[in-house]
Amino acid sequence: MIVVKNVSKYYGNFCALNNITLELHNGVYGLLAPNGAGKTTLIKMLATLITPSQGEIVYDGKNIIHMDDEFRALLGYLPQQFGYYNNYSPKQYLLYLAALKGMGRKDSIRIIKELLEKVALSEVGNKKMKKFSGGMIQRVGIAQALLNNPKVLILDEPTAGLDPKERARFRNLLSELARDRLVIVSTHIVSDVESIANEVIMIKHQEVLYKDSVENICNTLAGHVYETTIDYGHLDAFRNRYTVLLEKQESGEMNIRFIHKGAAAEGWLSVTPSLEDVFLYEYRDEIRMEV
Amino acid sequence: MDIIYYECKKAFTSPILIALLLLFASYNILLIVSTSDRREELKVANQLAGKYGVGITDDSMNQFREDLQHDLVKLNEITRTDYSEAELDFFTELQLKEKYYEMANDIDNRYDQIDWEQIGESQINMYRFSGSAADTMKNEYIKLSLRFEEMKDNDEHKMWFFAGDPYKMHSFLFRTIFGHVIFESLIIIALAAALITNYEFENRTHLVAYTTTRGRRLMRDKLAASLLTATTVSVFILILTLGTYFAVFDYSHLWGSSISSALNWEYKLPYVSWWNISFSAFLIWSILLVYASMMLFTAIIFSISIFVKNNYFTFFIFAVFFAVALLLPGFIPASTNLIFIAGYNLSQLVMNPHMFLMGNSSGAMMFKNYEWITICAWTIIVVALSYISLRRFRKQDIH
Amino acid sequence: MRILFHEIKKIFTWRILLLLVIANAVLFFLRIEFHISHFPNGRPSLDSYRIGIEMISKYGNDMDEEDRRDFKKTYEVQVQEANQYLQSNKEFAEAGVGTYEDFLNIDWENKEQAALRDKIMFEEQVDIFWELPERRRLMDFHETKEARVGTYKNGANPRQEARFDEMISAGHYQVYPEVVMENFKEFIFNVAIAILVSVVLIISPVFMKDRSRQLLDLQYTTRKGRELYKTKLAAGLISTLGVITALLIVYFGMYALNNTEMYFNVPIHMFIDSFSWYDPTLLQYMALTVAAIYMLGLVYALLAMSFSSMMPNYIALIGIQVPFVIAMITYGLTYLVTRIINIEVPQWVVPTSYSGMVAVSVLFIIFMWKREKHRDIVV
Repeated sequence: MIVVKNVSKYYGNFCALNNITLELHNGVYGLLAPNGAGKTTLIKMLATLITPSQGEIVYDGKNIIHMDDEFRALLGYLPQQFGYYNNYSPKQYLLYLAALKGMGRKDSIRIIKELLEKVALSEVGNKKMKKFSGGMIQRVGIAQALLNNPKVLILDEPTAGLDPKERARFRNLLSELARDRLVIVSTHIVSDVESIANEVIMIKHQEVLYKDSVENICNTLAGHVYETTIDYGHLDAFRNRYTVLLEKQESGEMNIRFIHKGAAAEGWLSVTPSLEDVFLYEYRDEIRMEV
Repeated sequence: MDIIYYECKKAFTSPILIALLLLFASYNILLIVSTSDRREELKVANQLAGKYGVGITDDSMNQFREDLQHDLVKLNEITRTDYSEAELDFFTELQLKEKYYEMANDIDNRYDQIDWEQIGESQINMYRFSGSAADTMKNEYIKLSLRFEEMKDNDEHKMWFFAGDPYKMHSFLFRTIFGHVIFESLIIIALAAALITNYEFENRTHLVAYTTTRGRRLMRDKLAASLLTATTVSVFILILTLGTYFAVFDYSHLWGSSISSALNWEYKLPYVSWWNISFSAFLIWSILLVYASMMLFTAIIFSISIFVKNNYFTFFIFAVFFAVALLLPGFIPASTNLIFIAGYNLSQLVMNPHMFLMGNSSGAMMFKNYEWITICAWTIIVVALSYISLRRFRKQDIH
Repeated sequence: MRILFHEIKKIFTWRILLLLVIANAVLFFLRIEFHISHFPNGRPSLDSYRIGIEMISKYGNDMDEEDRRDFKKTYEVQVQEANQYLQSNKEFAEAGVGTYEDFLNIDWENKEQAALRDKIMFEEQVDIFWELPERRRLMDFHETKEARVGTYKNGANPRQEARFDEMISAGHYQVYPEVVMENFKEFIFNVAIAILVSVVLIISPVFMKDRSRQLLDLQYTTRKGRELYKTKLAAGLISTLGVITALLIVYFGMYALNNTEMYFNVPIHMFIDSFSWYDPTLLQYMALTVAAIYMLGLVYALLAMSFSSMMPNYIALIGIQVPFVIAMITYGLTYLVTRIINIEVPQWVVPTSYSGMVAVSVLFIIFMWKREKHRDIVV
């Protein structure tokens, strides 16, 4: 069990995370936030790459910084971007990282073989990585995170560069892994976590907004999400009155999904909120600014 | 133009390059100032040129002798033994003037003893030239002796200058000082050109940068920026260094003196330039030659960068290139003219700036048109090289 | 151990090895080859070298009064031989050069005599006429050896003076030819340059390579974690030792071609060369310079690694080391390697310099390690 206790991180005057408290058990956690909300900062602190300015992170009651290698032995980490040596093959690369993870050579060879099969790279296990596609590199990255059979698995944007088939395979792999370990998946692709995350953590303005099951989070908007069809001409006026989540053209008219916290009007169809709805609703300011 | 400015900025905002530039410039200034203890003695040559005109003629020598005798009389009048400061200065100055007088008087005598064809023979023996190489060498020494005769006829060497022995000011300025300037500029230029050329790859901006409207033509801007940066660096070091040099050592009456002045005789042989040029003209030519070499080196570094794409290796490969060119003539049999052709390279050129345009050098460097041919030949090579690199880059896959 | 091996392997990529070989080939031909292919460098160096060997085998490591008389006798015998040579040679007899004495007094203006002299000196290279002046030169040194020490002692400071007195009372005078000593100094000086450059070349990328490739995120989150910094440091130092040793083996292998081993056990104070604070044999002196090169190599490796973990890019990494390397080559090496026990360098300078350099480089790297241990790995 990992507990994040009142953790803040400052870079000079800039606050990257403000007084975060979280309790994490075995299972999959989806870490959901737009860019710049402090997601990577939190992940890097959990991976011991950066240290909190205030507060502490403890694993089974022990500060992970003080646990040192004891904690890292339990850790599997896939960074958003990671380096590799062009003229190493995945096998050489994984052998090297296995050594760093303190694994015996014989074990490493066996495990690497299994993992390469799991991420469907067995055939290119001895090819130099400089010719690899982004998806292949990403799969090597996933394999390296699993090398030491980690109890804590942190994946930062793990599906970046993967095609739909690979993504599905990855989701299955993840559910399988999550049975007896703590998995944190940071992403801004909602569908990646929606189906498999036991809980979703949303960060907003450097603070934790939600930490709950997908269902509960969706329920915060229960009864407020509608769909309707309107004329093009009314679109701007509509946008000004309601928080529009989705616009879709359909046979000359606009199909709109939106939020309204009040009485429903005629012709509106009340729908079940999805995680994406919550995401779009909660981060609407950030999203508008970006557009 | 904006783009080139931005590219140059990449080099000039690198603290290390700026620090190196300042360090080298201050080192040069220190080097010059630390030798300035000779400057009082050196003033004599300048005074002589000021008083009697820079040319040494029979008239001026007569005048000089009369003045010397006058001074000697004055010297004999001083009978006390507790000399004043001014008197001591007068003694040393007189002594120096006498020395200059003797040297000037001895010019014809010493020049008559020089036989260039014989010197050529001994050069051929020393470097074991044979076959066509030996013939080429002989011919060149015949040309040199004609030039030497011409010089003796037109008296261009009879001009006042700092006594080569013992001061060796020509070597100090053109070998030591210029050598430092060249070496220092080259290090900074190599780093700056590699930095600019590979900047996008090092900073992973290459995917963005080379897909803009400017696209791969950005590499051409980078070449221009490297050349511009190299210019700035060389000019900065040159101005500071030469500025200090001429502020410390007074050349005011010697600018018009001949670079082949007989007084500027430092070692075994006098300096004999292939053309009748003054000190100031020689200085300007030297600066231009050095500048041209720097531009060519910049383009070479640029090309290496494109091929290697790794700043670390670029620097060392360039260093190896420089040294190999220096070694090249040593690996070529001394029986063919190939040995001289191998000598026509930029490394050989910039290693001997005091021998620019001089006939009293050795190997290919003594040839009359060595400097022009080297610069022109390498301009062609470097233009071709840059063109090939740019073309290659245009079609290259960027990952 | 396995990680250490991995890290060492990462240092010696084939590209860097190729560059190392090429750089050393260039430096070899530029600065070292001459001192091997041109040893002894013509005449009378060759004669000096030969006479030295003869003296060592005859007189050993100590040349006493009797030995010097013997040397003089050898000279006189050889003069007789020279006389015979000249007398038995008709041309010389006709030119009026009947004895070695006459030969020495040959008039340069006399074309006939000068030509004869050139003939046996340069064309035929008759050994005896090259050897005799060299023996004469050595004998001059033997005769003036006390005076020489005296001259040096006059301008000396108290410590140097004490050392000179020590040498005088031990009877240590400079009597053997200096060719081998001088040659070795030139050789080792240039080897030191080649090794210094090689070390910097190989070691500089150690930390920057993984950092610029964004490997730290992965490396520092493994069990090994930031301890890897120390392993890389160890890998760097081991590689340094490896490179220095390999290059020393190669260069000393070349040096063996100079055939100077007969000189190895002679104390260096016997050579007509600079005076030293201590009395090692030539071999011990060589070992000392080799130790010095190892020290310098390690110091520069530590500096290179500190810079490697600090500088933002390769250009800055090279740029910052340029002044250090140039300063060492132009000013440092003579004092720290060839003149390591030279009496003109105050006795404390060399040990202090080395201690200072070692202290600075070690503190620097410790500081970098402390910094690395707590550094936020942001990018």
